[in-house]
Amino acid sequence: MTPILRLREVSKAYGPTVALNRVSIEFAPNEVHAVLGENGAGKSTLMNVIAGFVAPDSGEGTLRDQPLPFGRPFEARRRGIAMVHQHFALVPAFSAAENLSLANLRSAWQTHRPDRDAGSSLDLAEQLGWKVEPDRLTEDLPVGVQQRLEILKALSSDAEVVIFDEPTAVLTPDEVEDLFRVIRELKDRGRTIILIAHKLSEVMAIADRVTVLRRGAFVATAPIADVDADQLATWMVGEVPGTRTPISASFKPGLSVTDLHVRGGRGEHAVRGVSFAIGKGEIFGIGGVDGNGQVELAEALAQVRPSAAGSIYLTGCDLEEANIAYIPQDRQSDGLALSMSIRDNLLITGHRRRELTRGPFLRRGAIERWTRDLVDRFQIKVGSVRDPASSLSGGNQQKVVVARSLDVVPELLVAVNPTRGLDVRATDYVHSQIVAAADAGAVVALFSTDLDELAALAHRTMFLSRGLLTDHLVGGDA
Amino acid sequence: MRSLATVVALGLALVLTLLMFGLPVADSLRLLGEGAFGDKFGISRTLAKATPLLLTGLGMVIAWRAGMYNIGGEGQLIVGAVGGAAVAAALMGKVVGPVLNPLILAAAMAAGALWSGFAGWLQVARGVPAVISTILLNFVAIQLLAWSVQGPLRRSEGGLPQTAPLPADTMLLKFDRQLDLHFGIVIAVIAVLLVTAFLYGTRSGFRLRLVGASSTAARANRIPSERVAIGSMMLSGALCGLAGGVEYTGITGMLGTGFPQGWGFLAIPVALLGGLHPLGVLLSGLYFGALFAGSENLARFSTGGTTLIYVIQAAAVLAVVALAPRAKPAKVKEAAA
Repeated sequence: MTPILRLREVSKAYGPTVALNRVSIEFAPNEVHAVLGENGAGKSTLMNVIAGFVAPDSGEGTLRDQPLPFGRPFEARRRGIAMVHQHFALVPAFSAAENLSLANLRSAWQTHRPDRDAGSSLDLAEQLGWKVEPDRLTEDLPVGVQQRLEILKALSSDAEVVIFDEPTAVLTPDEVEDLFRVIRELKDRGRTIILIAHKLSEVMAIADRVTVLRRGAFVATAPIADVDADQLATWMVGEVPGTRTPISASFKPGLSVTDLHVRGGRGEHAVRGVSFAIGKGEIFGIGGVDGNGQVELAEALAQVRPSAAGSIYLTGCDLEEANIAYIPQDRQSDGLALSMSIRDNLLITGHRRRELTRGPFLRRGAIERWTRDLVDRFQIKVGSVRDPASSLSGGNQQKVVVARSLDVVPELLVAVNPTRGLDVRATDYVHSQIVAAADAGAVVALFSTDLDELAALAHRTMFLSRGLLTDHLVGGDA
Repeated sequence: MRSLATVVALGLALVLTLLMFGLPVADSLRLLGEGAFGDKFGISRTLAKATPLLLTGLGMVIAWRAGMYNIGGEGQLIVGAVGGAAVAAALMGKVVGPVLNPLILAAAMAAGALWSGFAGWLQVARGVPAVISTILLNFVAIQLLAWSVQGPLRRSEGGLPQTAPLPADTMLLKFDRQLDLHFGIVIAVIAVLLVTAFLYGTRSGFRLRLVGASSTAARANRIPSERVAIGSMMLSGALCGLAGGVEYTGITGMLGTGFPQGWGFLAIPVALLGGLHPLGVLLSGLYFGALFAGSENLARFSTGGTTLIYVIQAAAVLAVVALAPRAKPAKVKEAAA
């Protein structure tokens, strides 16, 4: 098979984070090519490079031996590369036909007639065996049907290469099956299908070939017949981490969680009955792919989100009163108030400290000294503590969060991807602080999608998958 | 740098407005200055006009700093005055003036707090933005005032729909019989200091600023944002209600349908010009008070009159807001999926 689409030595970095590191990959016509990897492996960046949304820092790409139009999505689309985004680009208040017609607009001056402009897409829907009611409002349609609209939009330009970005994430099993039927049909019509996925079972079911990325680098490409799920899992995550020390009774009892249920922001069952215990001084790792209930579980432990059922018990103190340190995943929105000063951001925990307050009042002098002390001790690089937190680099922002959480040893530390987006030095620093907190007797729940991080820090690691804890990485649904 | 730019912008706005009205700039500025600061009458007028602006302006700062866009200062001021008048009607003659006056002011604060607290509750519990509800509640308050002075609070003798005038001993202390100036300015300045101390020196004030700066960070740190939001609205309404009580017991001594002078609306430009900081409000409140006093003087010698102030206010706020450094666009998320 002659490849239709090739990428050579493509690299892309966002600040200190390398998203793609000299990745080379080839795609053939008439194939379903799965691209697999953990979160942060670089899958989405790679697809955005191909579809023209992201210009790489270096490297080259060709489509039918013509250079790819990097950074020019409209041109890429004109040449026959279409992308079905994970997050739909549909106008909710438009009818299905109106949304479909948008894809067929060629010029701002063209008269717009949804029925005519959507016509070819509706014909295609019929060929694919889909019933689309053109007059229904998009927001009233089920997610699976909305995705069909996205797919029809992508196909309207008669694309040769169709990229699906985690298309099954939002679908029911029946919808997944139907999607696969359509993908096969598209393949039979000579299209190249690129499928981003992280569910191994689906990849095994639909793909002809698979490429695995890990931490921005190419690991392997192989025909699906030559690999099994275990092989792919190993490629994806490297070696499954061992435990730093075996489960031991040497820790004094700390946190115990029994049959905990937590609901997510939309009322869905995000955590569906987990039980575990973490000793004092123990770092308990919780791994797994984002969106499997990590944030909800972390927030429940940190007392930010109410639990729907079950119990959380912390030995020796009342959970309401306990000093719980929480390092949230999204530092810019949950960790910091970016427009407030660095001093005020430290005060987020400080205003609760007895030694910094007198009754309802803040003690100005004590707070000044405390702030200076934290900046020194945690080596936060600041111009002035009166500058807004937004003026700090990502690493120093995270140091602010860490400093105010760990200046005294908490009873419980809950950290979610505490080093995401940080450079190596900042990462080492945050790691050392977490270990120091545990060594001083804190109960530590470390949530991370980075298995190397868990391997380096955690005494014990379990994986959260669809709201349930499993004790090892399972091949079928990593 | 910032404050210098503000002063320059204000000066330019003033000069341009005068030019637009076709007034001789130098003479007009002189008349404005004399009217505001020329003699004890001018200074008194400036401070008297600044008093309700300071109180309502502080009210806006408290709410806006918590992320609650209270546009209802006028309604809260009116309801505060009505609440004060109700207490006055109930207790007049039964309680001596020096005791009754603080009771009136306390009732005004309570009424304003309940009025705005309702809007806060609507936003937190029912999802109705305070921007909308407070505007609508302004209209309700105006009608409430009209109904009160024509009905339950109407004075028994005399034709006009008004409340009975307060006896002199129930009014706020005046420093000089000839002047408008009354004890309210002292209350307003104390309020500036208290609000400053509250926002920057107390735990609750810190929480209020945190909730306004980032409701997500407040939530992740277990700060009860909803309670803070409602509390900030109530405090805001209490200050606006106090402004109503102070106008009532300091200047008018009775309520009629002509009582509202728009101070509660002007509070918003005062607060914005003051950078949503209580000490900034002190300056901007005094500035607008001086403009009022000065333009009354100007109006005696030229056309335009007090209309001028509203144009200058609008121009000043637009100039200052346009000059404010733009918030940096949110950084692109660092981590690439």
